[in-house]
Parts: sequence; C-alpha cells; structure tokens
Amino acid sequence: MDNKSLMCVLVSDFNLQNLAGYVTNDSHFPSVKAITAPFGQPVATLLNRELPCWQNTPDVAVIWTQPQSVAPAFKALLNYERVQLQTVLQQVDEYCALLVNMSEWVKYALVPSWVLPSYRSVFGILDMQTEIGLTNTIMRMNLRLAENLDKASNIYVLNTHDWIAQAGIQAFSPKLWYLGKIPFANEVFKAAARDIKAALRGMLGYARKLIIVDLDDTLWGGIVGDTGWENLVLGGHHHLGEAYADFQHALKSLQNRGILLAIVSKNEEQVALEAIRKHPEMVLKLDDFAGWRINWQDKVENIIDLMTELNLGPQSAVFIDDNPAERARVKESLSEILVPDWPDDPLFYPAALFSLRCFELPSLSQEDLDRTTMYLSENKRRKLKKTVSSLEEWLKRLAIRVHIEELHPANLQRATQLMNKTNQMNLSTRRMSEAELISWAQQEHHWLWTLRVSDKFGDAGLTGIVSLKIQDQRAQIVDFILSCRVLGRKIEETMLARAIHHAQALGIDNVYARYIPTPKNKPCLDFFKSPASRFQQQGDCFVRDGKQSFPIPEHIEIVLTQK
Amino acid sequence: MDAKIAQMLFSVIDELNQMRPTDDHLVKDLEMPLSGDSGILDSAGLINLIAVTEQKAAEELGRPLVLTDERTLSQVNQVFQTLGTLAEYIHLRLNEKNDG
Repeated sequence: MDNKSLMCVLVSDFNLQNLAGYVTNDSHFPSVKAITAPFGQPVATLLNRELPCWQNTPDVAVIWTQPQSVAPAFKALLNYERVQLQTVLQQVDEYCALLVNMSEWVKYALVPSWVLPSYRSVFGILDMQTEIGLTNTIMRMNLRLAENLDKASNIYVLNTHDWIAQAGIQAFSPKLWYLGKIPFANEVFKAAARDIKAALRGMLGYARKLIIVDLDDTLWGGIVGDTGWENLVLGGHHHLGEAYADFQHALKSLQNRGILLAIVSKNEEQVALEAIRKHPEMVLKLDDFAGWRINWQDKVENIIDLMTELNLGPQSAVFIDDNPAERARVKESLSEILVPDWPDDPLFYPAALFSLRCFELPSLSQEDLDRTTMYLSENKRRKLKKTVSSLEEWLKRLAIRVHIEELHPANLQRATQLMNKTNQMNLSTRRMSEAELISWAQQEHHWLWTLRVSDKFGDAGLTGIVSLKIQDQRAQIVDFILSCRVLGRKIEETMLARAIHHAQALGIDNVYARYIPTPKNKPCLDFFKSPASRFQQQGDCFVRDGKQSFPIPEHIEIVLTQK
Repeated sequence: MDAKIAQMLFSVIDELNQMRPTDDHLVKDLEMPLSGDSGILDSAGLINLIAVTEQKAAEELGRPLVLTDERTLSQVNQVFQTLGTLAEYIHLRLNEKNDG
C-alpha cells in the first residue's frame, strides 16, 4: 500500500484539535496528516480559498459544525423562539452550496451530520413535533444536508449519531466545552477518526471485497463431520441456532452489497456441501459462494489457492474463523488479510461482522451488486477452459464482446472507481476524483476510453480504461487499467489497438507509455515487456514507432460508441 | 493510594499521547514538567490533562475529582508543575474528602 500521507483539513466552529491528533496518530492505512483551520469561522473558511489551509490542494476536508452555527434560524429555535421550518431548511441549502463550492478544492470532503446533546430534549413529547421539536428539526436538517450533498460526487455525509452512541452517556462534555470549546468527549473523536480512516480506505480503493468463512462453529454450531448435518445448531427456536442463522443473514446482506463470500474449512468436502445443500435452515446457498476450499490441508495454502482462483490480492480479504489458532496462523502468514478477533460467544457474531469497518465503498455500481454472479460466470469459463485444447480455442468459444466508449457522465462513477482501486494492471496508478477525471478527459488533446467486457457467460461490466495524451507529435498512453477479472483474454491488446489506431488516425505514429512502478503493478510491466504489446522498452518507457497497424485480436467483437 | 494515583496518571499520559504528535509524547515520569515556564503542555494540552485526569480518577480510583474549581486554578502553575506535583495535589484532595 502507498504510505504517502494524505493531507486532511479540519474545518469547524468548535475546537477539533483532538480529532486532528487522533486522525494523525491512527496507525491504520492510510497515513493522514490532519491540520485544523482556525476554529469558529467555518463559513469564512469555506468562502476563502486563499486561506493557508487550502493551499497545496488538500486530499480531504472534514467540515464538522454545530447546527446553530450554520443555521441562525435553528439557533433561534434552540431558544424556543417561533421559527418556520422552511427558513431553517433554506439556511441548510445555503450552507450546502458553500460545501459544494469548496468540494472543488479537495479530492474528498466529509461532512459529519448534526447532533444535539440528549439533555436538550427538555420538552419530551414535543421534541418530535414539526417546527417545535428540536430533534424533529435536526432530523429534517440532516436529511436535507444528505439530499443536497448527494449531488456532489466527492462529498460524503458521515453519521455522527453512531459516534455518539459508541461514546455512550459521556459523549457530550460540558467540561471540555467550557474549558476549550470542545463539545464532545474524546471517545466521540476516536470513533470519528476510525470512520474517517475507513472512508478514506474505501475512497482509495482498499475496501475489502471478500469474506472467507470457516464452517464448523462459525457458519453453524457443531462439527458436521461428527454430528451429521441433521444435528447442526442452526436456526429453529434456539438462541444459538438463531444467532448462527442471523450471522448467515448478515453475510448475505453484505453479499447483496457486492461483497464476495467464500469458504475455507477443514472438513470432508462432500459432507460439508451436503450440509449446505440439505439443511433446511441454511440461509446461504452454494450459489452464494464465489469459491471454496474444503479439505484437510493447511488453511493458509487453501486461502492462497482460492484467492489466486478469484484473482484477488490478500488486501481484499477478511478471514473469519472461530478457532484462535487458525486465525493466528493466517494472521502471521498472510499479514495483508484482515483477521478480526472473533467473539467466543456466537450470539455476538452478527454484531462483530457489522462492526468491521472495512467494506466502505464511496459509491455502489451495478458491477458491485453483480459481483458474485460475475465470479460464478468465471467458474464456468474456467471449466470450459479445461475442456478445450488451446487458449485460442477457449477465447473463440467465449464469444467476447468489448464495448468501447468515451468517458461521459453515465460511466464516470464506475470509471473513477476502477481507476482508484485497480492495482495490478495499472500503468501509472493515478488516483483521481470524478471531477478530476472528467476534467482531465475534457482537456484538449486528451482522450479516455472505457471498456465494457462481456461474453457468453455474462457481463464483466466496465473493466478497462485506456487514455491518450497527444503532445509534440507524440502520443502518450497515460492510463492503461484493466480489472484482474478479465486479464489474459487479450483485452490488453484490444486496449492498445484502440489507442494506437486513434493516434494513427490523427497522423501520429510515435506512441509511448511510461510505466510508473508501485509495489503491486508488476503484471502491467510484464505485459508491456511481452511480445504481445509490440512495444520496445527504453528506460521506464515503452515505445512504438511506425505506421504498421495494431490489429484487434480476432476472437473479439468490438462495439465502438463515439461521442 | 499514592501508587494508585501514579498509575492512574500514567494511564492519563497514555490517553493524552494518542492525541499528541509521536515526536512530542509525554513520558511516564513523575518529574516530567507539565505547566509553567519549562512545561510541555500548551493550554489545549492542559485542558485535556484536566478532563482526562478527572475521568480516569472516577474510572480507576472510583472517586470524583474536580480540577477546575477556583482553588485549583488559582495555583495552576504549582499544581500542574510536574506529574509528581499533580499526584501530590490529587492525594491531598482525595484525603480531604476522606477526612470530611
């Protein structure tokens, strides 16, 4: 992982120095250097780009305010004056306009939602009444905030109520407020720092994509090899059975959001699979798992094997096992896999799963939602590969179709997501926000194409990006990004063909690509070094000069959508 | 009680260090200067020290402690001169309560 520190600006009407400390000292990836803008002036700070805090283009800004500081009408309501809800919401709109304007100065902006101390619910039953109740108004303000900021692609609203709940009854600190204008206890800031770091991991493409689970005493209670599937503790009117079923529901819900599930278990495969197929209370079915290794081999070897099959790196995975010895073995051998400490009591399994802060995605694309289906299709491709005599024959029988189109608002979100999370087949590993990417692509002499790959087994979605920059009669391939889902099907050659063909159509025969090494992108170097790329290496560049065309691989059907 | 107070103050230091730059960590030493001319803490640091000490006193010693009263703040440089002077002051205050 890239260890360069991200620059984070904290803007607030109160003192966020403690949060800055927690965010900066948090040892989890990514490294962040947090600075505070002068507190007490959030609106002035959002209006003035010339302030020192905005210099050097910060990566992220956190704008955390108290509601009364940005909505004077709400301040009046705090004094129980008569206030029209519409006035409050209009002031929220005005504040949101400032945030949207500021969001162009940073890659990402995070806006914690507004909260009120629970002791402000003086009038109890009136608290939820429209235009009277403070809580009612705060809820509407937060809803309006979220709706307004939904329109900005790089602003995310964070749930402050969750941090308050984690901090408990001491969440609001009158002591810190009167001494230092710090409204919250440090437990709130610790929870906020954890969520900010989790959000940044998601934005940088380091959200976990795969949960590998054990079976016995993890997915169900009991040892299936000893008791038989009929006697497993799962579902029914039993507190433990219900907890195991709920844990499966929790896994299924994450799968519905695009997280892959897989099994690594020491068991007889047939016995375990029979349990999954036949147990009437199994929530998860075999089709819910992208893969499994059920045997008596070492779990570390099984995990490596499984992840190779799924084309995923260890930084993508979470391993859940009730056995501390197995967890320790995996943690020690595969340090990039997240191996959470797991509760001894199965009643806490569902909560432990939902408490993991590692699945955060900045957006949810159709590709995310269809991920399990895609991996099941990949299994079918692999089976086909075993039945044919050559690679060419296999590729031909896949009937691959590649839709190539330029960047536009409809594919921008997915293209940005792909750009920010692809590590292996990535020439320059640029990380950009949606605004930055579209801005780059719209510049004169810049072109960027996205590739959507499908075949007879399914649609892999938008899985490739190639971009070109023309300068001084030379064409530079700036981005060359391909999801590992479709590697090795000559999509790489198709991407080069697109870029080279475009350059030649503009009368430019000198095409080059500059490889920028990272700890993860050697597969890209290997491809450019291979005869398939038809480029010559010159230092850190790969160069191609000449009028000869670069044909599209025979087995690929191209559908080109021009602007 | 003295050892318990020192231990409680060391856990306060752990807590404060989570907010401080790694090259500016406080050390668990009763001689460590806190406030005053040679003190390490700025005003924000002193505020956090007070708040966390009160919290830890309640959690670890089971005793309420108020360090923002006029008596304490009128002698702030003496009370918070070092971690040791703070320990002595806490000992004094808690014993006064016992006497009462």
